Amino acid sequence: MSVLARSVGNAFRNKVRSAAVVAVLAVAIGLALAMLVANQAVGAKVQELNASVGTVLTVNPAGGQGFEGGGEPLTPAQAARAAGVPNVTAVVGTKALRLRNATEAAAQTAAGQTGGPGGGFGGPGGQSATLTTSLTVAVDAGTLGNRNQETGTTGATGTTQPVRSLPLTATGIGAEVDSTGKALELTEGTGLGDYTVSSTKALLGTTLAEKNNLAVGSTFTINSTTFTVVGLFDAGTAFGNNALYVTLPAAQALAELPDELSTMIVTVNSMENVDAAKSALQEALGSDKADVTQGQRNLETAVSSLDSVKNISFVAFVAALGTAGLIILLIMVMLVRERRREIGVLKAIGARNRTIGLQFVLEALVLVALGSAVGAAIASFASGGIASALVSSNTSTTAVAGRGAGVPGGTGFPGGGAGLPGGGPLGGASQLLTSVTASASPGVIAAGIAAVFGVAIIGALVPALLTARIRPIEVLRGE
Amino acid sequence: MIEVKNLVRTFKTGDRTIKPVNGVSFELEEGTLASIVGKSGSGKSTLLSLLGALDKPTSGDVVVNGVSLAGMPDGKLTEYRRRDIGFVFQQFNLIPNLSALDNVMLPMEFAGVRKPMRDQRARELLQQVQLDPEKHGRRINRLSGGEQQRVAIARALANEPKLILADEPTGNLDEQTGEHIIELLSSLSRDHNTTILVVTHDRQLANKTDRRFRLQQGRLTEEPARDRAGAAAGVEAGVGTAAV
Ligand SMILES: Nc1ncnc2c1ncn2[C@@H]1O[C@H](COP(=O)(O)OP(=O)(O)OP(=O)(O)O)[C@@H](O)[C@H]1O
Ligand SMILES: [Mg+2]
Repeated sequence: MSVLARSVGNAFRNKVRSAAVVAVLAVAIGLALAMLVANQAVGAKVQELNASVGTVLTVNPAGGQGFEGGGEPLTPAQAARAAGVPNVTAVVGTKALRLRNATEAAAQTAAGQTGGPGGGFGGPGGQSATLTTSLTVAVDAGTLGNRNQETGTTGATGTTQPVRSLPLTATGIGAEVDSTGKALELTEGTGLGDYTVSSTKALLGTTLAEKNNLAVGSTFTINSTTFTVVGLFDAGTAFGNNALYVTLPAAQALAELPDELSTMIVTVNSMENVDAAKSALQEALGSDKADVTQGQRNLETAVSSLDSVKNISFVAFVAALGTAGLIILLIMVMLVRERRREIGVLKAIGARNRTIGLQFVLEALVLVALGSAVGAAIASFASGGIASALVSSNTSTTAVAGRGAGVPGGTGFPGGGAGLPGGGPLGGASQLLTSVTASASPGVIAAGIAAVFGVAIIGALVPALLTARIRPIEVLRGE
Repeated sequence: MIEVKNLVRTFKTGDRTIKPVNGVSFELEEGTLASIVGKSGSGKSTLLSLLGALDKPTSGDVVVNGVSLAGMPDGKLTEYRRRDIGFVFQQFNLIPNLSALDNVMLPMEFAGVRKPMRDQRARELLQQVQLDPEKHGRRINRLSGGEQQRVAIARALANEPKLILADEPTGNLDEQTGEHIIELLSSLSRDHNTTILVVTHDRQLANKTDRRFRLQQGRLTEEPARDRAGAAAGVEAGVGTAAV
């Protein structure tokens, strides 16, 4: 019989009461663990949002956006100035090119349609000349596409044009991010390597590659340059995947405009600094030269409400943990009182205070271990529900705002779908919120149980120390 | 050798002060088997608890082999109880949810005796107090009063104490078993030089002891020994008689 064996035995001395204590502990511990899991899940989401879209500013030439509007193009000097703004962690320049299918272009030219500015696919915005490619667009024009192209058609001919395919956007990028600043998700192959030198490597969206029967290692042409596909990416939307990326210098070379940027993607170090950085950036670049926009404005509210969910769940975790500790404290105080005489006996036959104290702490831990086992089971069933309940009750208003932002957020040029390439996150604030999945990861559960045990030891220590004050003479007192 | 010096223990109950031990002095040589008799409520258990360091005297001192208990810190008193004292409680005070064997092993566990050793010794002791081997593993609350009493005696002997303090060790036993226990204690004092002090109402037991004391109104007097040859006879042990 060791101290531990005795403690285990004592924990089951009064089975009905022990079962009741374990049940109450299990609820408190289960709640604590569920809150911790929810907290972690929401926290991870907040971090993800902050890290990707939430802290990104987009700089366009003043008066222009995408292929629309006018103004002066952005320059590398401005990029350098932007990089010098406080709290800015990265500035990535992009250069967008519009490509059209070479065969189709030739046919249209033959039919008398001009390809130049003012005629169909020209560069309204003056940002780029239209280039030709061997690639075929993966998205059908459809009703939206045709309507967009009609309204986008201005100039000399003025005649109704026959149905034709959509243009394709090739973007030169200065880092492995898409045109909204989100890290590219490569499904196959590698990145472009050095994004600061001109190369003939290209990244294709999955649907574009599929449409053209291209795989990693295949080649295609833009104007007369042959590019090799080194990787495929998945932007998550059909429109986003109908795109391709080359390095920034390569795009500038193709456009024969080596010192021009279409946009700059500026990443700010944290959500809180975005507003300040935005005004600082606007000031540094001059409002007559550049427009600084925060594409994911709506996400800020989303993140802040997620943040409050995170705080609520943390407070609930601490409260549930404290409750578990309090339950242990009270139950052990009760047990010590009840076993006064027995403690006196142990002392009378020579037990040291620390032996008795240890016995009580271990007894408490046996109860907590059982409570944790049941509680962890409860948590693994309940945490998903609790997390989504917390999120939906706290973000219902934001979710509506987020959904509404999807359409105005589409600052698009003529296209078959909505928004910019990778426009998913724009309209997806509500989606992001509901996609908080609280899966009970073993690591989090283990950390939670460690915290429970820590609190239990503190809770049990007080009554255990009380046993030291019981004198051996208690043994002669009646019950 | 144990020297008891003018020991006083008073209790306050409401506005009354009672003095069950009021100036007790005596000495016991090693290996002595002594008995204390006295009316119920005369303070026998109180005196025993002072000797066993379960309680602290209001005044006076107990000196064991030249070491005074009066100034001893609690940790040392615990060690004294663990190593030097075997206490048989009037109400047994066994741990109810443990087996007879576990109860007897408990003091040995506290003294750091290894498991196989304590198991073996506990079985031997239970055999010595004539507890049926099939009841060794039985929980205390499933044993009869007499069986519990014998487990309590076995537990007191566990760490081979120098001084055994037994409060009515035969109170719940039949005549035959009682006699066997008396024989056991007697042989311990003879063969192991253990000092034994028994509180008893049992004349037969008292008559078999080397020295016999009577506790009356807080004072201890020694009565002449009858059965055992060579025992001190007719010596007054009470010192506090003058201090009323
Ligand atoms: N903690 C206490 N507080 C107040 N009075 C006490 C306390 N302990 C004992 N007494 C009183 O001291 C007296 C002596 O008690 P004690 O238990 O020593 O008697 P005893 O001689 O052992 O009696 P018995 O033969 O019935 O066991 C009794 O009157 C008892 O009520
Ligand atoms: Mg008594």
